[in-house]
Amino acid sequence: MKAGADKAQCIYSSGEKKELNVDAGEFSLFRTNANHGFSIMAIKDQKKGSFSINKIGKDDIDVAISTVLNMAESSMPDDAYDISEYQEADSFSKGNKEPALNIMYDRMEEFMEYSANTFPITIIEQAILDFSSGTNYYRNSNGVSFDETEGSYSFSVMFTSKEGKDISSFNSAGFSSLDIDLPLHKGGSINRLLEESAAHVRTRTVPNKFTGDIIVTPDCIMSFIGFILGNLSDFRLIAGTSLFRELMNQQIVHESLSIHSKPLSDNLSGGYFITSDGYKAEDLTIIENGILQTFLLSLYGSNKTGLQRVSNSGGSLIIDHGKTPLKDMIQSVNKGVLLSRFSGGSPSDNGDFSGVAKNSFYIENGKVQYPISETMVSGNIVDMFQKVKHLSKEEVNFGDEIFPWIQFEGITVS
Amino acid sequence: MINKDLNKYSSHFSVYTELRIQENRNNHISMVNGDVMGNSVSSSSGVSSRVYNDGNWGFSSSPDFTDSAVEYVLKNASDNVLFMNKRNKEQCGFILPDISGHHEIDLSTQHVRNDQKQWIDFLRNIDDYIAKKYSFLSSRTVVLSGLDMEKSLLTSAGSTSYSMTPRGIMYISLTMDNNGEPVDLMDVFGGLGQLEDHFLDPSHFYSDIDILVEHLQKKSNGVYADAGLKEVILDADLAGILAHEAIGHTTEADLVLGGSVAGEFMGEQVASELVTLVDYANTMNKQVCPVPVYIDDEGTPSEDTVIIDDGSLKSFMHNKDSARHFNTKPTGNARAYAFSDEPLIRMRNTAIQPGTSTLEEMISSIDDGYYLMKSSNGQADSTSEFMFGVPLGYEIKGGKLGNAIKDTTISGVAFDVLKTIDMISSDMTWSAGGMCGKKQWIPVGMGGPAIKCKVNIGGR
Repeated sequence: MKAGADKAQCIYSSGEKKELNVDAGEFSLFRTNANHGFSIMAIKDQKKGSFSINKIGKDDIDVAISTVLNMAESSMPDDAYDISEYQEADSFSKGNKEPALNIMYDRMEEFMEYSANTFPITIIEQAILDFSSGTNYYRNSNGVSFDETEGSYSFSVMFTSKEGKDISSFNSAGFSSLDIDLPLHKGGSINRLLEESAAHVRTRTVPNKFTGDIIVTPDCIMSFIGFILGNLSDFRLIAGTSLFRELMNQQIVHESLSIHSKPLSDNLSGGYFITSDGYKAEDLTIIENGILQTFLLSLYGSNKTGLQRVSNSGGSLIIDHGKTPLKDMIQSVNKGVLLSRFSGGSPSDNGDFSGVAKNSFYIENGKVQYPISETMVSGNIVDMFQKVKHLSKEEVNFGDEIFPWIQFEGITVS
Repeated sequence: MINKDLNKYSSHFSVYTELRIQENRNNHISMVNGDVMGNSVSSSSGVSSRVYNDGNWGFSSSPDFTDSAVEYVLKNASDNVLFMNKRNKEQCGFILPDISGHHEIDLSTQHVRNDQKQWIDFLRNIDDYIAKKYSFLSSRTVVLSGLDMEKSLLTSAGSTSYSMTPRGIMYISLTMDNNGEPVDLMDVFGGLGQLEDHFLDPSHFYSDIDILVEHLQKKSNGVYADAGLKEVILDADLAGILAHEAIGHTTEADLVLGGSVAGEFMGEQVASELVTLVDYANTMNKQVCPVPVYIDDEGTPSEDTVIIDDGSLKSFMHNKDSARHFNTKPTGNARAYAFSDEPLIRMRNTAIQPGTSTLEEMISSIDDGYYLMKSSNGQADSTSEFMFGVPLGYEIKGGKLGNAIKDTTISGVAFDVLKTIDMISSDMTWSAGGMCGKKQWIPVGMGGPAIKCKVNIGGR
C-alpha cells in the first residue's frame, strides 16, 4: 500500500512434497520437493495486475511489488476488480505435518504384491504415492488475515492388462486421504477398476447402433458434470454464453439430482478453508432436487455480472446417492452401456457431445454382456441430465469427491 | 539469466548425478468482450538434482539458487536414493549408458522487449477490430501467453548444457448465436519465440480473423456429419495429433514397458508404405522445429527418432534407463517441465513426413467424405485407439468441398488407420501451441502434411 496501491492482497505459501514412484511394476524414484511462493495482486485506479514468484528475499519481494504496480498501471480499468472485505482473523489446519515414510513404502509394496497376485495379467504402468504438506498465509489491505495448514496423502495408479498379444485400454484410478491406514487397493474405485481391466484384454463392438441407457460410473461422471458446472462459472456467465444465466431457482437438471460443494465436509479428506479471493470457505448446495441454488461466481464474476458471489471456490463435490441398488439399475436396462471412462471431445457450447466408451461394458436384457471397444456414445449433456432414470444406492468416496452411479436414458450408442 | 556454469559443484558428485538449474517465466493476458480478465506474470525457478544408484533414483529440489541450496539438494537426492536402495535391492548393479555432450543455445528475441501496456494495447487493437467488423458475434476472447524455459545442466557423465527456449502464443475464440444456441470456433497463432517474435503488428492478423469468422459463419449453418467409417482428409492439425497422441505415445519406451501395443509390433509393417513418422529433435528440412531440443535433461545429445520408416516400425523413444533395459542407445527424449520435475520420456516434434500430393488432388479424389481441419483435443491409449474432437470440417461431395459440419469426433485404432493412408500432401505445417500431459505438462511440437485415410466419424 505504501508503494501506491489502492487495494492489494498477497498469499505466501510454503510446503513440501515427498513422492514414491513405481514405473512398469518396479520401484523407481523417491522425490522430495521443497517450495515456497509469494503471489501478489494490486488494484490501482480500478486497474489490476498479478505477479507471482517462488522467491521470498526482501529484494525479490520489492521487485514483485514494483512489477505488480507497473502491471496494474498498464492495464485497463474495470469497476468489478475488488478484494474481500474485512473478516475476523482465523487459522485452520488439517492432517499431519510429516509423512510416515516407511509406512508409505510398505503400503506401496503391499499394493504391488496384491495387484501382482490378484491380477496377474495387469501391468502397473505407473503408481505414485505422495504426501504433500504446507501452509498458506492470506492477507489483504482490508485487514483480512487467514492461515491454512494441511497435510494429506494422494495415491494414483495407471494400468494396462495384457495376455499374449491382447491388450486392454489403459485405465487409471486414485484417491486422497489424511492417513494411509488402509491398503491402497481399498481406496476409491481401485480394486474394481483393476478387476475390470483384466476383463478388457478381449473386447467386442456393440452389435448395432441403438438409442438406449448408459450407466455412468462414479469414475466417469465428472466428464459430464463439468459441462454443467462450467455453465455456472465466471467465464461463461461473463462472456454471456452460459445456458443457465436466466434459470436461478428453476429446474436445470432432473429432480432426482442434488449436487453439493462441501470443502469443509468431514467426509472428504480434500477440501480447503479459504477461497482464492479471500473469504472463509463454506459448504453449499449447487443444485437441490434439480433446482439451481447458486451460480459459482468469484468476487470478480459477481461484480461483473451483478449476480451473487458463491461462498466457496467450487470443487469438493458430493452428489447425493439414490435408493436403487446398482444391480437393479443394470437389470432395468434393455440395451445400454456401463460407462467407466469417456474419451470425448470437448462438448459444444450447446452441450452436444460424442466420444469413445473406454473400459466399458455392453448391457442387454438386464445383464452385463461383454467388454466393449471402438464404441461411440453421443447425445446432448443438457438433455441427458433431464433424463436421469436412477441414482445408485452405492457411492464412491475419492477423498476429494463422492459420487454414485447415474443412469441416463436416450443416449445414442454406435 | 540463470547461472550457465555449474562445474564448481561437480566435486559433490559421487554416483551418477544430474544437477539442473531452471527458471520458467510466464506472461498471461486475457481479454473477454473487451475487458481485461487476466493480467498476470509469474516466475518459478530453482535447482534440482537426480541421483541414480543400483537401479533406483533419488530426486530433490529447492526454490533457492544459493551454494548451500545446491549442496542441500545434492545431499537430499543422495539420501533419497539410499532410502530406496535399503528397501529395494532387486536392481543392484544396473549401470546407465555413459553418454555426454555439450551445447548452448539462447533463442531469446532480438527485438526490443515490450512492456505490459504494449501487450494490452495489442490485444485491444485485435479485439476492437473484431468488435467493429463483426458486431453480430455474441462473445470474443483473445489471449496472449508467453513461456520462457531457461535451463542449465551438469551431469556426472560430463554433459553441460544451457538453453533458453521460448514460446509465444495468441488464442482467439469467437462465439455467435444460432437460433438461441451458441456456436464457437478458436484458432491459435505463434509458436517458437518470445511474444515480440510473433505479435508486433496486430494488423498482420486481420486476414486470419476474417478467415476464422468466415469458417464460424459457415459452421453455424453446418450439418451433422454422417456417422460411420468415412474417407477423410486430416489436415496438419489432426495429422499431427494422430502422430503424437495415437502413435507417438505408444512408442515411448516407458509406455512400451507398461504394456503398450507397439511393443508387439517392432520391425513389422504397421502403416502404409507412404508413411514415415519421425520425432524430430530440433530441426526438420533445415528449419528449426517448434520445440528444439539439442541436449536432453539427462545430458544426452538429442537425435531424430525415426519411429516408422516406409510403414515399418523401427524405433522407440528412450531415456537412459529405458535404453539400458532395451540394450540400445538413448535418443535424447528425457525432458522435465519445471525445476522441481524429474525428466520423463517425452516427444519433441512429432510428424509424418510430407508426401507428393497436393491438397486439391486429395480433395478431388474423394466422392463422399470429409475434409477435417482442426482438432479441439485428443486422447489415445495403450492400444492406439484414439479419439479427437473436430471443431471445424467440411463435407466432400463428388470431389468438391460442400457444407461445413457441426462439432464432431473422430476415432479409430491408429495402427489400422495408418494402413489406410493412400495420399500425403507435400506441404508441412506445425501447430502453434501443442502441449502434452504425462504426469507433467510440457510444450511439444506436432504437425504434418495433410493425410488421406479412413476413420470413424461421430454423427448425431
